[in-house]
Amino acid sequence: MGDIDINTINLDLSDKELSALIKENGLGFSIEEIKKLPKILGRDPTITELHIFNTQWSEHSSYKSSKDILKQLPTEGPTVILGPKEDAGIALFTEWQGDKYGIAMSHESHNHPSQVIPFEGAATGIGGNVRDVLCMGARVIACGDPLRFGNPFGKNKNRTKYIASQVIEGIAGYGNPLGVPVICGDVYFNESFDDNCLVNVITLGLIKEKEIIHSHAPKDAEGFDIIIVGKATDNSGFGGTTFASVILDEDDRESNRGAVQVPDPFLKNVLFRATEAVFKIVREKNIPVGFKDMGAGGIMCATTELTSSACFGADIDIDKIHVSMHNLPPYMITCSETQERFTWICPKDFTPTILKIYNEDFDLPSVSEGAKASVVGTVTKENNYVLRHKGKIICNADVNQITQGIKYKRESRQKKYTGKEPSIAEPDYKDMCLKVLSHPTVASKLACYKHYDTEVQGLAVIRAGEADAGVQAPIDGCPAGLALSADANPRYALIDPKQAAINAVAESMRNVAAVGAVPIAMTDCLNFGNPEKPEQFAEFTEAVKGLAEATSRLHLKGTQGPVPFIGGNVSFYNESAAGKSVAPSPVVACLGKLEDVSKAITMKIKKENSTLFLVGERKDELGGSVYYELHDHLGKNVPEIDYEKEKKMIHSIIDAIEKKLILSCHDISDGGLLTTVAEMMLGGEADGKIGASINLDFSSLPLSKILFSESSGFVFEVDNGHIPKIKKMFPDAMILGETGGSDLRFTAKDKQFRLSIEEMKKAWTSGFTEALQ
Amino acid sequence: MKKIAVIYFPGTNCENETKLACDAVGMQADILRWNTKKDLDEYDGFVLPGGWSYEDRIRAGVISAKDPLMQKIKEQAKKGKPVLGICNGCQILVEAGLIPGLKDKVHMAVAPNINPVVSGYYCTWVKIKNVGKKNAFNAFYEEDIIDIPIAHGEGRFVTNDVQLVEGLEKNDQIVFKYCDENGTINAAANPNGSTANIAGISNKKGNVLAMMPHPERAFFKKHLKEKTMNNFEDAMSLAAAAKIFESMREYIR
Repeated sequence: MGDIDINTINLDLSDKELSALIKENGLGFSIEEIKKLPKILGRDPTITELHIFNTQWSEHSSYKSSKDILKQLPTEGPTVILGPKEDAGIALFTEWQGDKYGIAMSHESHNHPSQVIPFEGAATGIGGNVRDVLCMGARVIACGDPLRFGNPFGKNKNRTKYIASQVIEGIAGYGNPLGVPVICGDVYFNESFDDNCLVNVITLGLIKEKEIIHSHAPKDAEGFDIIIVGKATDNSGFGGTTFASVILDEDDRESNRGAVQVPDPFLKNVLFRATEAVFKIVREKNIPVGFKDMGAGGIMCATTELTSSACFGADIDIDKIHVSMHNLPPYMITCSETQERFTWICPKDFTPTILKIYNEDFDLPSVSEGAKASVVGTVTKENNYVLRHKGKIICNADVNQITQGIKYKRESRQKKYTGKEPSIAEPDYKDMCLKVLSHPTVASKLACYKHYDTEVQGLAVIRAGEADAGVQAPIDGCPAGLALSADANPRYALIDPKQAAINAVAESMRNVAAVGAVPIAMTDCLNFGNPEKPEQFAEFTEAVKGLAEATSRLHLKGTQGPVPFIGGNVSFYNESAAGKSVAPSPVVACLGKLEDVSKAITMKIKKENSTLFLVGERKDELGGSVYYELHDHLGKNVPEIDYEKEKKMIHSIIDAIEKKLILSCHDISDGGLLTTVAEMMLGGEADGKIGASINLDFSSLPLSKILFSESSGFVFEVDNGHIPKIKKMFPDAMILGETGGSDLRFTAKDKQFRLSIEEMKKAWTSGFTEALQ
Repeated sequence: MKKIAVIYFPGTNCENETKLACDAVGMQADILRWNTKKDLDEYDGFVLPGGWSYEDRIRAGVISAKDPLMQKIKEQAKKGKPVLGICNGCQILVEAGLIPGLKDKVHMAVAPNINPVVSGYYCTWVKIKNVGKKNAFNAFYEEDIIDIPIAHGEGRFVTNDVQLVEGLEKNDQIVFKYCDENGTINAAANPNGSTANIAGISNKKGNVLAMMPHPERAFFKKHLKEKTMNNFEDAMSLAAAAKIFESMREYIR
């Protein structure tokens, strides 16, 4: 390995001494891992090298436990332009005026930081995720936010309410100024998240296929400049990757704060515009460049990955990096996760253009103190990663060794679930309906969405909450529309992680189909406990199996192939110091496409005297249901997906909406059939005025199970003139009832029940707000 | 071609859709940075779009109001050219004293929302109606009710000059007011507690308009919250709020 000019750190030590050294330096290495370093380097590491490998070998950066398992997921197909290789995947969206357009999609978590400092944690979660999409050359057009919080009525209720409110404020506080609309999301409350909330973010971007910018150095890049743009580097987020891969101890909350980055959406707003101005010239003049966001692992990770992926090395002078703090140790400058920064690799003669755009045209130094673009080094032919500080070489390691990371084969041992189906006496139906509607998981999240700018950029067609998926028309003048939904039910996962994953895939596809869109691509964010514990690791492997199976069996419409995953993220160690892991959470997002966005429909009932259809059999599958939760049971029978039926049902819904045979549509999920019909009456703004009457005598199940079973299905509204066509398309569907009146009337076993719109509205709109108060 | 400058201050975030709205009614809009060296005489009109210019430091719009570019915009306004401020642009025009513009001073404020249900930043669809006589921006409006979204934390027009609002009414400077679905102007229809339900105010001459709701986000039928789209062509037909831009176009000779 290469020569260095400073002292190294002696690692020829006993395990006990090594352990002390790890602790003293705030490292995340295991003893076995740190022992590998001298072998790899051929000598002891410098302090900078020690931190570099520590960062790269963290679970967060290296996927050391998950890499092999994730290979099961399908990642190819006719809708894939770019699979999960770079910062964001890209799905083929549409062709318009001679150009192929893709949707770049990234899906990440920011769980640990959000638990420690929820506002900043959630804000930087958005900040990091939008950078991933921008750096593909895309215009960032939408975000989605699946959130999981603790029990708002449990023993940690005050902290939970605080975290939930602050996370929502943090998302708004970043996304709104940046100008990115939130188009979908969900919120679950469960005590397994008491010590570890989950904050996932999905970002979408629009990009022409021919204009994709890659996060690797171009061909013949030897001698190209390496330019760092954006905020001046400080110590914030130092150790962020290691922090993301540790178990949170509530007592360490204060000392962990330093590992959370500081968000600056204002600077990001200007950086985005300046960067788009650079993109424009790069495209016009066909300049060979590489571009990457700086997230996990900071400058080190961005520059090593940019160069190693194209078989180059780098020579960087740390003294040329613009910093906002004096006397920062060089390893901190290279590995800190200061927000709002990017790296360019470009030919030397293009450097002045980049510097002018950032430093003069958009005047970064005046916009934000210390922000600018700086040339910090060059791309080298040799594969060495050389860092210089005050004229001395302080790091000189094989760049491929750095980026390669490590891999583990973790032990996996499935825990046997022993829960049983409860026996619950039939409830007072009316009272129970209102209780289900006001359950925080079911209740309207309008209070949350009202804090998000859902309208900015003027792309919205259907907003979050108005339907099962948000819909946008992203290309000016082009009829193609996109839809986005994200799902994963934590209570199903407590019973059966694999079934939960299958349900998450199916539900996200149903949600996208319910607005009329064809599912074309998926992403996943896998939030789990400690991979070093076989039972927790088994939850992960089972869930991934479920994702692979479901996406492969629920075919991409019109093909026999899977709906591919184009991106994803793994977040382990969502475990409290007491050893309690979060409910396994394989959160998936599904991207859908409408040929003609004007055909998109919402869930709100459109008129009186139309017919309500039900498709999807009601089954005794209330395991993990809201109904059982209200009785303090988890149960056992999680909804099972019959792939053939499910696929047919989803595709028929899409076809019927395309043929304009359906007026409104809503999938059956949390809360069951009753909730579905009630939400169709109320609509996203809870201002619906048209009631419905439904007949529930179609099943031999107890009425409670008909009302509250969460078995897969849809309810949809059809103009009476279209009934014959619908019956032909859905041989298994049945007429549930009709719209009209101003209340919800249901008949079962010669009994009639009646719920007024007003009382449903009150229950549905109060549950979420009360949980946060 | 009638040329419009859409101004980007650091932190503005609605410049693209605002340009699109100008272009869609047959004007030609350029997005100009705050530090532009271009001669504003080249332009026939100006739009200050929404966003969080200068991070809302001190108070929304204050820093932009002091930006050297605003002095130039003031001069252009004096020449009678139309200047439209939307949301943050509205706050800038008020902080720059261009609205209400009766005296050469800051005469009003756009204060934090007061809403019994939603505190802080509030994004929702509201209805407004034209209550003023003809000016540069409402030439097409009679008693139409306009569906339009708001998205702000500070949108409440207030003043400590007790005579002012009466004077503005008299001068026909109050252009848009929040109303309910029947066009009635009442407290229930007021999303942010704005004095007299005011959603938009012009200067006395009628060539400068400051409004908190976003017409560029309610421009095509596809944007609207309540809609039936027969086909894509119908989805792309102009909605009521687009008339603000059409009016601006007609005003420019």
